Amino acid sequence: MRRLIASRRARLLAGVAAVVAVIVALLMTGLGRDPSVFASPLVGRAAPNFTLPQLDGPPVTLTRLRGQIVVINFWASWCTECRVEQAALNQTWQQFQDSGVVVLGIDFQDTADAARSYVRTDAVAYPVVEDASSKTALAYGLRGVPETFVVSRSGRIVRHVIGPVDPVALAGEINSMLGTRA
Amino acid sequence: MNAAGTLRRARAGLPGLLVLIALVAGLVTLVIVAVSGHPPASQAQEVQQIASGLHCPICKDLSVADSPAPLAQQMRQEIAQKVRAGESAAQIRAGFVAAYGDSVLMSPPRQGVAGVVYYLPFLVLAAGLIVAFVLLRRWLRAPQPDPPGAGPPELSATQRRAVAKAVARLREEEPG
Repeated sequence: MRRLIASRRARLLAGVAAVVAVIVALLMTGLGRDPSVFASPLVGRAAPNFTLPQLDGPPVTLTRLRGQIVVINFWASWCTECRVEQAALNQTWQQFQDSGVVVLGIDFQDTADAARSYVRTDAVAYPVVEDASSKTALAYGLRGVPETFVVSRSGRIVRHVIGPVDPVALAGEINSMLGTRA
Repeated sequence: MNAAGTLRRARAGLPGLLVLIALVAGLVTLVIVAVSGHPPASQAQEVQQIASGLHCPICKDLSVADSPAPLAQQMRQEIAQKVRAGESAAQIRAGFVAAYGDSVLMSPPRQGVAGVVYYLPFLVLAAGLIVAFVLLRRWLRAPQPDPPGAGPPELSATQRRAVAKAVARLREEEPG
């Protein structure tokens, strides 16, 4: 009788341990993930097209950039984290602009004057367009700024980063895309 | 027949005519409501209805209709534009889901992981009820200990005869 009770207890403990192990394994799968890389429903799909006016220049249409890798960065002059990543985006533009890579800033919920002032003081080197109606921001499922989308040469979104971009990770992504025919 | 008589007859028939018109108008309204299900909502109502079914992406627990955030305001403007352009509520919702995912819906579809999360508590509850029922039945069927002072159970006449027969058979089988 005692042996029967001991065997039942052992089976119960093994069951509880198995359930705990499954839960811990599920939780641990998230530890290796970069929290800034967002599992956007747009990743893998065609980037929504837009034609937006540049702050000081002709309008930019996304489909006209087909064949080039496009780094789309949503930002605003009032956004402090955008200033944090500014150097990284300038560096990416300077490093890759001759390799068929375009960095494009999209000004979000801002005034043209404030945006121009930001571009001047922070020496934004790449083209910047205005999204006054936020239509483009909504089409990209924007939740805030900064957010960055990497679009392949075929016009598909391959990465969606929430928060400031990591220049090393971004350069690695671009280098791997330049090495493929994507 | 003079003109005064005709006028008098027409005046006398007027209330009946008005009642008939009112009855026909009421009937037509009833038919329209019955066919369409409800009176047609205005565009503003439709915008409000769609916006209240969408979750403000930058808010904690507010719908696009209730949020004062600029992004929610722009979403409401976008919805209004699409309603004016003739898009259906389902098409408008699908557009936001394509950009933001199912999390933009106040009531996401109960499929995949969301379905598991939704139905799991009910499954666990059902399993618990089954286990409780089985345990309770087992407990009720288990032999109850005799109350102190109770004698041996009373046997029926048939049982007593069967016991006597068995005892007699055992005695016959006993050697010597």
